Amino acid sequence: MRKLQTLVAAAVAATLLAGCGGGTATPAASGEASSSPAGGSGETLVVYTNSNGEGRGEWWTKKAAEAGFKIEIVGAGGADATNKLIAEKNNPIADVAFGLNNMYFSQVKAEDALEPYEPAWAGEVDKELGDGETYWPLVKQAILLGYNSDKVSKDAAPQDWTDLWAKDEFKARYERVTGLGTATAQLVFAGILSRYRDDAGDLGISDEGWKQVEQYFQNGSPAVAKTDLFARIASGEVDMGQMPSSIIAEREKSFGVNVETVIPSVGVPLAVEQIALVKGTEKKEQAQKFIDWFGSAKVQGEFAKQFNSMPVNKSAESEANPEVVAFFADLKQQDIDWEFVQQNMGAWVEKIELEYMT
Amino acid sequence: MIRLDNIKVTFGDFTAIPHLDLHVRPGEFFTLLGPSGCGKTTALRTLAGFIQPSGGTVHVDGKDVTRLPSDKRQVGMVFQNYALFPSMSVWENIAFGLRVRKEKPADSDRLVRDIAGRVELSDEQLSKNVAELSGGQQQRVAVARALVLRPKILLLDEPLSNLDAKLRHQLRQQLKDLQSQFGITTVYVTHDQDEALAMSDRVAVFNKGVVEQVGTPQEIYDHSATEFVCNFIGDSSALTPEFVTELNRLTGAGLSTDAKSYLRVEKASLNPAADGSAAVGLPGTVASRTYHGLHSRYVVRSHGAEIRLLVKEDGGAHPEPGTETTVYVQPAHVLQYHPGTGAALTREDQAVPL
Amino acid sequence: MTGGTPARSMARSPFVLIVGVVLTWFIAAFLVWPNVNVLIATFFPDGNFSGRAAEKLLSSQRAMKALGNSFLLAVALSVTVNLVGIFIVLVTHYFRIRGSRILFLGYASTFIYGGIVLAAGYKFIYGDKGIVTSLLVKVFPAMDPGWFSGFFAVLVVMTFATTTNHMLFVANALKGIDYQTVEAAKNLGASTWTILRRIVLPMLKPTLFAVTILSFLTGLGALSAPQVLGGRDFQTITPMILTFTNSPTSRDLAALLAVILGVATILMLAVMSRLEKGGTYFSVSKVSSALQKQDVTNPAANIAVHAVAYLLFAVYTLPVVLIVLYSFADGAAIQTGHLTPGSLTLDNYVRVLTQQSGLRPFVVSVVYSALAAVIAVGGLLFVARLLQKYKNWVANVFEYLLHIPWILPSALLALGLIISYDHPNPLVGGAVLTGTTVILLIAFVTVKIPFTLRMLKASFASVNSSLEEAAAIMGAKTLYVFRRILLPLVLPAAAAIAALNFNSLLDDYDTAIFLAHPLVQPLGLVIKANTDGAEGVQGVANTFVYTVLLMIITGVTMYLVYGRTRRQGSTKKGPGGIPPAAPVAGTAHAGVPTSGEDTAQPAVTVR
Repeated sequence: MRKLQTLVAAAVAATLLAGCGGGTATPAASGEASSSPAGGSGETLVVYTNSNGEGRGEWWTKKAAEAGFKIEIVGAGGADATNKLIAEKNNPIADVAFGLNNMYFSQVKAEDALEPYEPAWAGEVDKELGDGETYWPLVKQAILLGYNSDKVSKDAAPQDWTDLWAKDEFKARYERVTGLGTATAQLVFAGILSRYRDDAGDLGISDEGWKQVEQYFQNGSPAVAKTDLFARIASGEVDMGQMPSSIIAEREKSFGVNVETVIPSVGVPLAVEQIALVKGTEKKEQAQKFIDWFGSAKVQGEFAKQFNSMPVNKSAESEANPEVVAFFADLKQQDIDWEFVQQNMGAWVEKIELEYMT
Repeated sequence: MIRLDNIKVTFGDFTAIPHLDLHVRPGEFFTLLGPSGCGKTTALRTLAGFIQPSGGTVHVDGKDVTRLPSDKRQVGMVFQNYALFPSMSVWENIAFGLRVRKEKPADSDRLVRDIAGRVELSDEQLSKNVAELSGGQQQRVAVARALVLRPKILLLDEPLSNLDAKLRHQLRQQLKDLQSQFGITTVYVTHDQDEALAMSDRVAVFNKGVVEQVGTPQEIYDHSATEFVCNFIGDSSALTPEFVTELNRLTGAGLSTDAKSYLRVEKASLNPAADGSAAVGLPGTVASRTYHGLHSRYVVRSHGAEIRLLVKEDGGAHPEPGTETTVYVQPAHVLQYHPGTGAALTREDQAVPL
Repeated sequence: MTGGTPARSMARSPFVLIVGVVLTWFIAAFLVWPNVNVLIATFFPDGNFSGRAAEKLLSSQRAMKALGNSFLLAVALSVTVNLVGIFIVLVTHYFRIRGSRILFLGYASTFIYGGIVLAAGYKFIYGDKGIVTSLLVKVFPAMDPGWFSGFFAVLVVMTFATTTNHMLFVANALKGIDYQTVEAAKNLGASTWTILRRIVLPMLKPTLFAVTILSFLTGLGALSAPQVLGGRDFQTITPMILTFTNSPTSRDLAALLAVILGVATILMLAVMSRLEKGGTYFSVSKVSSALQKQDVTNPAANIAVHAVAYLLFAVYTLPVVLIVLYSFADGAAIQTGHLTPGSLTLDNYVRVLTQQSGLRPFVVSVVYSALAAVIAVGGLLFVARLLQKYKNWVANVFEYLLHIPWILPSALLALGLIISYDHPNPLVGGAVLTGTTVILLIAFVTVKIPFTLRMLKASFASVNSSLEEAAAIMGAKTLYVFRRILLPLVLPAAAAIAALNFNSLLDDYDTAIFLAHPLVQPLGLVIKANTDGAEGVQGVANTFVYTVLLMIITGVTMYLVYGRTRRQGSTKKGPGGIPPAAPVAGTAHAGVPTSGEDTAQPAVTVR
């Protein structure tokens, strides 16, 4: 077995050395990474994230290098990264994970795959946004209902998600999801279902709540694989749909559309991206230093400036785009019991997939 | 019955048959004989309608069929490997042509059973899969399938070439019997001279796309028209000019000494013929002897020629290798060919000095 | 070698014993144990059997409908793929059609691409804003621009996307037909059509059965075409399986659905094997003559066949052309369908190839895929030989066990490996496999076993057994005979199988996402990261770039294996390329039901 392992690793490593011209050095990628994880010698930190898209991963790698951290970013979707962290808990490869929201991190925590650590900047953030023990908040993301403001005036726009199916003029004009695998979609439903919490109801939700879900699916225009909502808005197929706050500005530009967002009276579900130390890492000390650096006001401020994000770190707010800060300042956050959501989300997704998605 | 006139067949740049005239008589068992690649199969396939000649005409029973497709020529064909349809039963194989013709099922069945009976296939065999049959049975199916449509001509393309020697002998007889039983005009392609001689009414010997000789088996054997035919058919010894000169001296036969001369193995002897024919003896040395049970093969060296001959093993005493002996030869048996053209020299030709 | 060899006699050969021990270990460690683990974990969560999954599924209208749709698609596809597949094989290999080589290249385009991009390509042409639709709407203003959607559209796209198997296996079987039978039928008065229907097609039956199974599997596993074109009314079960696989609380549903599809697969295999046993399909003779192309004699039919052939050519090639074209356009243009010549730039390629990871994922994937393809084929060469030689109950048991990866989707296989080897396990010498580079290789090898085994067995079956006996009589040892006599004969087929395996593993996502070493990430993960919604507008453009790049790699691989053997003129006897018979085969694109036709791109966004 061992022989085979070494063989494979050697082959992979050899070809890599020979064949790859691009980018990062991979000192730790050589064979010995195999069954003795992070063999102690490697200085490279392995960082799992679902938030490496649109140049973020490269940006972080560069910034970290400047600060003296060698990191290897491993990108995967929220659910995938969560599953991976859980799957590897007996032999972890990652040292740090960031970008996952409370829902995902609480799953990882429940599997005992996170190491408690209080970062140096813990005092600069609202502890309530994380769990105050293992994962710590970085960036706020609002999950919004956006509409084509060139076509729909503010007065005529929906006031809440429920208007979409309650009012005839929006029926078939909004895009509804075809799968609940994405974090954004799950948060939308967390926001809707939380309003109908009823411990006597099915999965903690009243019949009325499930009826809303049914209506949502019956009246929406199903999303089309590999076609962005903004592309569909641009072509006039639909006028509105779900969107995380951070992508709006960029996509408005790409597709040449203008989008306004709806702030329901109950507020907007906020996703908060977090960072955590992975249990069992052999580079614990270095990883802790990295987390301290990562969440610091200076670094989060630079990141916010670069990517239009809303930092949780209060001292970093000054660096962020004032429009963004203002938007979040006005934003009413929906009060969601995340523990309740996390406990039930799996079952909700299952029920919705099985019964309501047509 | 069949006339091929001026047939020319080319494949791209390659001319397989430059010029071919053949005439097959009704009821005849006619064989196209030659080494592989000589054009005999091409000729057969032209006759069958699988190859379109670039020139010339094909007549079957007086009708020009040159441009007709295979199935309109009223020829049945048995392929080298029988080409039985593996996905069908024996019955279905035989009935195939009838069903294509949309014969009534009852009629088809009657005709299939009738022909099957005549080729000695049992009812039980009819329902079998063709893969379950022996080589001989497969051949009978192939023949039955070809004959059930009552063709005017039966074409056989080396049907025995893939069988072992014993089966080949057995099926050779079976084929011949079937042919005479049905009385159908048959064209047979083979590279096996034995088969050709034993089965045919007439044989056409092919070489490089050209017919060298057409004749009865005996004609092509005893009076091979060309050097090629002489060599391809039977077994003979090449004679040296010295040997021929000596023969002329002894008999006054006036054989040409410039021509290529051959003597069939069975025509030479170590004993003077008892009937007192014109054989003369030439002295020689026994070079080798091979025992074959029925006979022994001798090679006797005489005047530079190695004369091969057969001696019947009748219990008598025979010379051993190395001993002196006498070879008895009749000048009339010597086959002579023009050294340039390879054509046989007739008696008249022999009179004319070269 | 037709009769069964008693199991006991197998134990006498040291060669058999060694292979048997290794095989038993491998099957136990990597096929049985992980999958039993994952099934137990899902169906017996607390040690007691839970019927929850079945109840949930039975009471879900959507699940039942999607399941029904998957089966409907599987059955319909079995018919349509055969119709189109046989047609294109006939026009490229059987009939004399002008420009048949060009036609071949067009029809062969499905060799090198598939999945979501293929579906997108068709949408560019026939979708509501597609080129053809726009033209048609101009001519017939009353026409519904959304005509190309639902079951019909999915069926059409998947039909054209999955004729690959016909081009590979049926074409090869056709080449093996004894031309004398065709001539014999002609001589007996059969028309072109009758010869085709009564003589040629029946002889192709075993191969047709095999590719029908593959089409059925592909239909069952349909993923991207229904997602892109199915619309509201025609969604299939695979997206649901993938969603549930990723959710720990719903994994039992995924497993149950996968098992249902797996059982259907096995049933289909059994039915087809039974049908196949009914008859003899190959020439009973030892000499056969090479097939010659046939004229379509009826002039009207000839024109019609030419017209259809070229129409299909257009259908096949247009999407490829558009995909290549669109790969130079920016993301917004791709998604809205507006393309102007000026907007075509190399930006997408520059972005993909100069990103941080650069060419590394390509290299990683090539190395992993090549290793897995070679190990699977190399190891199974021995196994397939033994299974083909010894037909007894032991061999049968082994053979069935080796088909396990066909029953479960690759994501569940990966989960099984994780559950079983994330702690020291005596089965692998006490090593922990998770987090190593080996575990992904094991998974890659495992998922390719059923297909490889079937194809190799078929090619061994076509080897004349007297060759082996001849060598044995001359005193050659088993291994020597294998190496010097059998191996050279099956090598072309083995190379072809390895190439198909290689191509299908290149962009694997389902297993890699669970098992890949984070520092040695294969292409599938990078593609996924680059093509997801999160990557923004460029994501879609990146998808196209990756597809084109993959087309190049797979195209080169196919050329190396097939292009060369074709040129060497392997029309003579012997296993050239792929065995002509491939009884009950699998293919690069079938295999695990939930991977389905969608090997080229991971489609479900799980972010």
